[in-house]
Amino acid sequence: MPPETTTDTIVPGSREPDAVSGSTAGSHADFRTLEAGLDALQTSPLAEKGPWRRFADGVLPPVVLLLALIAAWQFYIVIAKPRPDLTPGPLDVLTSITDLWSTGHLQTAVVTSLSRGGIGFLIAVAIGTPLGLLLAEWRLLRRALGPLLSGLQVLPSVAWVPAAILWFGLSDATVYFVVLMGAVPSIANGLVAGVDQIPPQLRRVGTVLGANRVEMATLVVLPAAMPGYLAGLKQGWAFSWRSLMAAEIIAVGGSIGFGLGSMLQQSRELADLPGVLATILVILFVGILVELVLFAPAERRLLRRRGLYLTAGR
Amino acid sequence: MSAVSVTERDRTDIPGNRPPGIIVSTNTAPAAIVAADVETAIRVEGLSKRFGKAGPVVLDNINLTIKPGEFVCLLGASGCGKSTLLNIIAGLEHPSEGAVTVASGKSAVMFQESALFPWLTASRNVELALKLRGVPRGRRRGEARELLDLVNLADAADKRPHELSGGMRQRVALARSLAQDRKVLLMDEPFAALDAITRDLLHEELERVWRETGRTIVFVTHNVREAARLGQRVLLMSSRPGRIRNEWRIEDNGPRRIESPEVSRLAIEITNHLREEIRRNAA
Ligand SMILES: Nc1ncnc2c1ncn2[C@@H]1O[C@H](COP(=O)(O)OP(=O)(O)O)[C@@H](O)[C@H]1O
Ligand SMILES: [Mg+2]
Repeated sequence: MPPETTTDTIVPGSREPDAVSGSTAGSHADFRTLEAGLDALQTSPLAEKGPWRRFADGVLPPVVLLLALIAAWQFYIVIAKPRPDLTPGPLDVLTSITDLWSTGHLQTAVVTSLSRGGIGFLIAVAIGTPLGLLLAEWRLLRRALGPLLSGLQVLPSVAWVPAAILWFGLSDATVYFVVLMGAVPSIANGLVAGVDQIPPQLRRVGTVLGANRVEMATLVVLPAAMPGYLAGLKQGWAFSWRSLMAAEIIAVGGSIGFGLGSMLQQSRELADLPGVLATILVILFVGILVELVLFAPAERRLLRRRGLYLTAGR
Repeated sequence: MSAVSVTERDRTDIPGNRPPGIIVSTNTAPAAIVAADVETAIRVEGLSKRFGKAGPVVLDNINLTIKPGEFVCLLGASGCGKSTLLNIIAGLEHPSEGAVTVASGKSAVMFQESALFPWLTASRNVELALKLRGVPRGRRRGEARELLDLVNLADAADKRPHELSGGMRQRVALARSLAQDRKVLLMDEPFAALDAITRDLLHEELERVWRETGRTIVFVTHNVREAARLGQRVLLMSSRPGRIRNEWRIEDNGPRRIESPEVSRLAIEITNHLREEIRRNAA
């Protein structure tokens, strides 16, 4: 059958002027109220949680659990009476913390470790972000470097400590090197994952709106990849902190400052178990604090703004 | 409302029972013959498309001329190549053969999913389009408000996409595509995911915007009634390969209602043709 194209004209029969305006009979204002009514029916205001409710939902459960664990620990000490040098009670650990505080060791160690972890993390962000963008947008590089980077993410960064000591000696460079090897792959891979998850439609919109390459990267790709990127940053921080502790435990002395890892190592050498436990708790606490103060709110805000954060019924 | 009257020469009063009519475009003779003396907004000549070298022919020798200010509906079964054709006109895909000319340069596009940026408020989504168009910062906010007001969403300017209903999101997307200020607006099944009541309202909204702004609109749909309700011209596409099979011109006497007898009559007629096209594929 040859392609046939016909043109037909439909002539509306007897349309009265009134009928012509059809559903727009009445004024434009009527239409607007109709539409506004439909909008109101189809959207429901989201109830924001009050600060008290957030506290009750978010902070209370872990605190209660923590108190319960400490109580159980104390209870065990009182009932079973184990050897105090091998199983210190919560009070011994608390005493140890206050002692370390009063000598100023604790503050120094926390500040040293936190600033090193923070600086190392920021350097890792500065390296990992462009690397991730390059990997995400440049296929050949991704094929070449992608597996290596995933491998590095699996490799425990402690493994780098001996090599780093041989290269950089007992200096801060060793610590930073180990931190970077831990954090950069996580950050880059997180960004790559975030970019991969961008719905293709959003890029098409960018193209249609006339974005050039730079505008596409900064105004579309990066913001769209934020959830994955933030997850990568979070993991990058965790890896930074872990790697830092490992490096500080192994590499003590030289020009390396006194951090929490060094404090841990020192307590072990003194066979001071309460001190060891106290330091572990402080390391844990700092990690949790950074997560709670920096990453959790950022993530919550990000996801809530995009309607991805579901709190209802939890 | 202006009631633009279409040429009287091919008037026929009994739809479905009329001579083949005047051939406006065929696949062998480009439409240029008819439209030579008329200014054209979009011209598609001998366009063919296949994905990959060995892929099946998706679009086969499409010829099409669209005049400035026309509202053209492109109708066809799912998978017949409507989106592909629209994307080629939009410059998002490249034709394998043939050429597409859009007289005014680039076109604005609106997709089935609103594809709003989820991290931006309704107003910011529109403002981003203004920014990429080169509108200076100081004027963006005001212009975005005006555009949102045009689609009756001024109150929702500070809401984020996930707080809006599907219909509202599509209206923001419409406002955003109007922010591009392009003469040609390409729409790919923009209302397909909406319920009938909302869709009905959006038809009125779109028609009003079209009449007020005088844009050239190519509206892709698989919904026959929608095409009959909105279009000045309805182009029916066949599947595998995609070709333009039939064309209907509808006299524009101002807004029509989707329930009106003439829309229904036209829809029935088009549906018959469409079914015939689909049946051919059964063998
Ligand atoms: N990127 C692509 N690669 C390969 N085939 C495609 C691609 N896009 C569309 N197709 C094919 O082209 C045909 C037409 O698709 P499309 O234009 O999306 O149809 P419609 O919009 O009419 O539903 C379909 O058979 C589809 O499988
Ligand atoms: Mg489609």
